[in-house]
Amino acid sequence: MSRKFQWGNIYLGIVFVLLYLPILFLIVYSFNAGDVMQGWAGFSLKHYNELFSDTRILEIVVSTFLIALLSSLLASIIGTAGALYIYNLKHTVIKNVFLSLNNILLVSPDVIIGASFLILFTVMGFALGFTSVLLSHIAFSIPIVVLMVLPRLQEMNQSLVAAAKDLGANNWQMLSRVILPVISPGILAGFFMAFTYSLDDFAVTFFVTGNGFTTLSVEIYSRARQGVSLEINALSTMMFAVSLLLVLFYYVISTRAVKNKKRSTRLVLPASEGL
Amino acid sequence: MQPVKLCAFLVTIDLLIKSEGWELTNISTPIIEFKNVGLSYGDDEVLKNIDLELEAGKFYTLLGPSGSGKTTILNLISGQLRVTHGDIFFEGNIINDVPVEKRHMNTVFQDYGLFPNMTVFENVAFGPSIKGMSKKNIKTKVTEMLTLVKLNQYADREITELSGGQRQRVAIARALANDPEVLLLDEPLSALDYKLRKEMQYELREIQQRLGITFVFVTHDQEEALAMSDWIFVMNDGVIQQNGSPEDIYDEPINHFVADFIGESNILDGIMKTDYLVHFTGKDFENVDAGMRPNERVEIVLRPEDLDLTTIENGKLIVTIADQSFRGDYYEITAIDDDGNEWQVQATNKSQIDARVGLTFDPEDIHIMRFNESENDFDARLESYEGEEDAEK
Repeated sequence: MSRKFQWGNIYLGIVFVLLYLPILFLIVYSFNAGDVMQGWAGFSLKHYNELFSDTRILEIVVSTFLIALLSSLLASIIGTAGALYIYNLKHTVIKNVFLSLNNILLVSPDVIIGASFLILFTVMGFALGFTSVLLSHIAFSIPIVVLMVLPRLQEMNQSLVAAAKDLGANNWQMLSRVILPVISPGILAGFFMAFTYSLDDFAVTFFVTGNGFTTLSVEIYSRARQGVSLEINALSTMMFAVSLLLVLFYYVISTRAVKNKKRSTRLVLPASEGL
Repeated sequence: MQPVKLCAFLVTIDLLIKSEGWELTNISTPIIEFKNVGLSYGDDEVLKNIDLELEAGKFYTLLGPSGSGKTTILNLISGQLRVTHGDIFFEGNIINDVPVEKRHMNTVFQDYGLFPNMTVFENVAFGPSIKGMSKKNIKTKVTEMLTLVKLNQYADREITELSGGQRQRVAIARALANDPEVLLLDEPLSALDYKLRKEMQYELREIQQRLGITFVFVTHDQEEALAMSDWIFVMNDGVIQQNGSPEDIYDEPINHFVADFIGESNILDGIMKTDYLVHFTGKDFENVDAGMRPNERVEIVLRPEDLDLTTIENGKLIVTIADQSFRGDYYEITAIDDDGNEWQVQATNKSQIDARVGLTFDPEDIHIMRFNESENDFDARLESYEGEEDAEK
């Protein structure tokens, strides 16, 4: 038994080393005093200095986060409404058609989505830039939100809706006071998923960024083509740190929620005798 | 002259009051009334031509097996379902198309339907806050309701921290917090264990009597129905088979289904030879029923608790004990008569298996059921010969 565990651990260790080695390599070289990724010339923060004096890249970072935040917020709203609509459809055939359409968008290659958006925007005479990127990010994020929210709705006890109506709530009160709070974990998960998808999307964005406007992934790609500058390493390290912080943050709030639940039940137990 | 005048005056007043009272009871409309109500899904007729009247302030039970249409009636009253044909009245007004949230009734759901995102207090406060009650009044109301269901210590608890019995109470408090005129209960006790269910039966009955509002309770448990109700509707196949007080329904089941569903019964085929003489298991017996055709084929019901075991000489029938089991306060005995009919008997004393004993019962314990007799026919027949009896006396 313990032997098996040993082998399993070694296997896992190798997998994780292989996965994280390139990132580690990149991070280490972001502190290199030299200008290339070959040969260690000593520790230095000069690439970080360069990065923070590069206003263009800082602007791009800000707009990338702005796009991610806005698109995931709007996609959460539209996607939740869509999930509610699909959930309330009585006709099973139409319901399945909607679900299939949703899932097809989710699995279809980004390149195709990007290209089709490019064609759509050019045909419409729509100027490429911030808005076109935002719109396309919203579009590919909606199916993700629908996919995260719909199971929550289906898990929801049907008599909650009946009870709310029974107690005199109109549709809006029922939605805002009962349904949305109950499915909020699904909406939150959908929002975070959409946020990360938007943040690191390259393929779709690459098609719909015009001249001038660009996001981080596209910018890094175009810079990397002109020869790798270690400034990109510094940027990537910062990005990695941010995602690490996000994961940590998520971990902390989720465990604290669990702890709160546990503590309150523990408090309840001695008093709950009798009934 | 004065005292005579006074007397006459008092008599007049008395008459006036009496006639007033008579008129009042006559014009008081039922709180809920169904007139020829039916509900179908396509060709599937779930409810067939239901007529019923519910008086205010009583405890009604809709009793029947699953699929009998009892919950459908409840959902029609609450407004979750719409009639296919017929009319539903609330205090004399048609409410066929009044939406759920506009009706003066509330429901306790089978799975309670408590809002998991709210505390006990917030759950109970939901209805009043929707109505726009002030914060202070809501607090008073919720405290009152939680005290009523003995949960006032639990106001700040999360729903997930409550036991099944406590959730049940929250559901009742939440439904009552809206001051409904009718409380609808959809098998609310079915998820509780036996002891807790008994307790809740008492409490529900007590709550109903204290508040004086109408309860409509749906259950498949005949014991529960008999213990709690003022009036029972026995349902099967989308039809009200019989309605009446628990005693009426137990003592005078109208057909095979009701006799079989309510309590334990021995049901046999027989022939009503003349009035007050019935023939079954090859013998004639005196009984108390009349008003049927001579030699009409009928069904006989004899309740196990009305049967007694005795000596062979004293027995109206001779039976052989086939089986017995101890039930705490009595022995449940299965006996076979010479015709091969099986008899369920509740006896206080232990018997010997394979012993031959006498079986005895009183004439009034023999209950006769005619085939396809409707409730109205049954009542009319009963009245006709009971009237005769009174006239003879």
